[in-house]
Amino acid sequence: MNFIVSSASLLKQLSLINGVLNSSNTLPILDNFLFEIKGSQLKVSASDLETTMSSRLSVESKQDGLIAIPAKMLIEILKNLSDHPIKFSVDEGNFQIEISSDYGKYKLSGHSGEEFPKVPEIEQSSSLKITSEVLSRAINKSLFAAGSDELRPVMSGVFCELNSDNITFVATDAHKLVKYQRLDAKSENSTSFILPSKPLNLLKNCLSSNSETKIEYNQNNAFFTIGELHLVCRLVEGKYPNYEAVIPKENPNKLTIDRGLLLNSVKRVSIFANKTTHQVNLKLAGSSLNISAEDLDFANKADEKLTCSYAGEDMEIGFNSRFLIEMLNNIDTEEVIIEMSDPSRAGIILPSDSEATDENILMLVMPVMVN
Amino acid sequence: MINRAIAHFDLDSFFVSVELLKNSRLKGKAVALGSKEDRGVVTSCSYEARTFGVRSGMPMRLARQLCPELIQVRGDMDQYSYYSNIITEIVAEDVPKYEKTSIDEFFIDLTGMDRFFGTYQFTHELRHKIINETGLPISFGLSVNKTVAKVATNEGKPNGEKRIEIGMERPFLAPLSIRKIPYIGKQTSALLKQMGVEYVKTIQAMPAEAFQQLLGKSGLGLWKRANGIDNSPVAPYSERKSISTEQTFHQDTIDVSMLSSVLLGMTEKLASQLRREQKLTACIAVKIRYSNFDTHTKQMRISYTSCDHILIKGVKELFKKLYSRRMLIRLIGVKFSYLVHGNYQIDLFDDSVDMINLYKAMDKMNTRFGDGSIKRAAGLNPRKKSFNSFNSQQD
Repeated sequence: MNFIVSSASLLKQLSLINGVLNSSNTLPILDNFLFEIKGSQLKVSASDLETTMSSRLSVESKQDGLIAIPAKMLIEILKNLSDHPIKFSVDEGNFQIEISSDYGKYKLSGHSGEEFPKVPEIEQSSSLKITSEVLSRAINKSLFAAGSDELRPVMSGVFCELNSDNITFVATDAHKLVKYQRLDAKSENSTSFILPSKPLNLLKNCLSSNSETKIEYNQNNAFFTIGELHLVCRLVEGKYPNYEAVIPKENPNKLTIDRGLLLNSVKRVSIFANKTTHQVNLKLAGSSLNISAEDLDFANKADEKLTCSYAGEDMEIGFNSRFLIEMLNNIDTEEVIIEMSDPSRAGIILPSDSEATDENILMLVMPVMVN
Repeated sequence: MINRAIAHFDLDSFFVSVELLKNSRLKGKAVALGSKEDRGVVTSCSYEARTFGVRSGMPMRLARQLCPELIQVRGDMDQYSYYSNIITEIVAEDVPKYEKTSIDEFFIDLTGMDRFFGTYQFTHELRHKIINETGLPISFGLSVNKTVAKVATNEGKPNGEKRIEIGMERPFLAPLSIRKIPYIGKQTSALLKQMGVEYVKTIQAMPAEAFQQLLGKSGLGLWKRANGIDNSPVAPYSERKSISTEQTFHQDTIDVSMLSSVLLGMTEKLASQLRREQKLTACIAVKIRYSNFDTHTKQMRISYTSCDHILIKGVKELFKKLYSRRMLIRLIGVKFSYLVHGNYQIDLFDDSVDMINLYKAMDKMNTRFGDGSIKRAAGLNPRKKSFNSFNSQQD
């Protein structure tokens, strides 16, 4: 099996799928890219068993073939070649690969392509189409709130709820929660599934504007198609927690404040907070908001006062400042509204008057137990 | 480098002195503090008792054999803390920098003070002030570093004061037994005695390298201390790294339901202490000692918490893994480490508002009416009421 391909275009496609590869694998074959030639089409794939990504490009080739090539070495050499055609000559008997460039020849040993894990077939699936822009925004707004606790695997992904009116994306790690709803994206069937974090992170980098993403899904897998790029991932198994039940409905205390002002204040104050807990305290009285933090171990302390518009009882509530910063960073409006009821109940952060009418964002953050 | 001036204050048989203060009839008698039960140990004893050979840490039964007329007193930790705090206040008022190393011991850094008062004059007056205001005997040693000051205090005791002139540190230590040097314990001293090293002067005559070869890393430190060299600073405040409690049973037991009830009570007590001090723990450990003194501990990391329900679950899990031998247990203990300041991050799904409010209410009652005013029924054990509070805090 021989083929000629432009080094730059091959590198571009491999870079898109390279993120799938784990730094350490139990199966040695997973350290390889799978090269598959049919006609003049080269399909390159990378897999970690849970997620498989593949892309296609045109090559000059006379016969079909299949080979697994060590990913790390291949990427390294491609990065260090200037853009020009390179020739791959593969001995399918002993899996030796020879790459010839203008500079010289490089030899490396591959593996049989047959060893590469099989990609699940799209069977009994439903599908929907969504613009890449919407998908990208949904991932960016929600994914940061997903958890990483191995003991709660369902929370490690983003919960997608589809129905004929809207699509809702929910992510939570039990301390913070984001609910992002699109009114302009719809699905014929009402269903729900949990997408794992890793493939969403990979997709985020592949989504270009003005393209459309086709999502197909069945009981076990989800398939994404963006142009020539394919991604298949196993869905997270299990039942997503009933998130609607934990979003407090009645929140009499309502704070409206400039987002940038609050964000910068929290950022400054949190520098002086405990490095493990990142705890900051918000004290609301009248129309003033006091933000303070303290690290008793080092006698560090910070205190700031902001003016805000506040309707409700005076109260004091403590939060992990990192959660606040992440959330405020992910809201686009000039002002935010923070709704609260009690120092031991969730605080809800909302954009004030969203210009985008086809989306709803709700962010929720749990406080710390302050006596 | 300027010479430092470090004073070490140590209350003489502190617990017994407090008991004498409350009950003057005990004066001049052989008194020992500690539980009267069979397995009780002497936590402190009067100088009269010491003449009979009674020592702290000795089993009460042995102490009774040595000294038949020994008067045993149960002891009251709260009372001792109360007096200890009074003394701390007096010291804090007068000195620039002090370190409280235990309930009855202080180091005071008086470096630079000699220009104003004369350090000896000052410490002498401070000692009398403490004696006059509390009625408790206290001794001190004054020198250029912590080690020599501490040894000097022990030499000056009881009710004495001792100053080691600058430059006299080595000669002062030379004639003393090696056991007088801090951190030379039973094993090290046994090893050294085997080699014929009985007095500090022998260590002083040895080269540092030889000592280091013999005792490893700690050897050099020991050699320096024996030569009166100690650069450790007086650290005004040291953060507690863990809290723990343990309990020795009067009779060895395999009663698992009783054991888990005791564990629950201990966990609850420590957790409420965490919350009161606004701290969180990230590591829990359980310790058991079998009747044959085999001691096993098991620990696990958790995410930062101070909540009973998480800690109790973890402690029970550890105990289940640890106690597999169906052997009689002599002692169990619980320890929380990796402590940080902060408050518990409430969980969106696992914690209900009612539960958080329950914690708050319980903590409020325990703060107002005393620790243990309200607790889980499962942690109450009819066979055992209180834990040995002498072990409840470790640095």
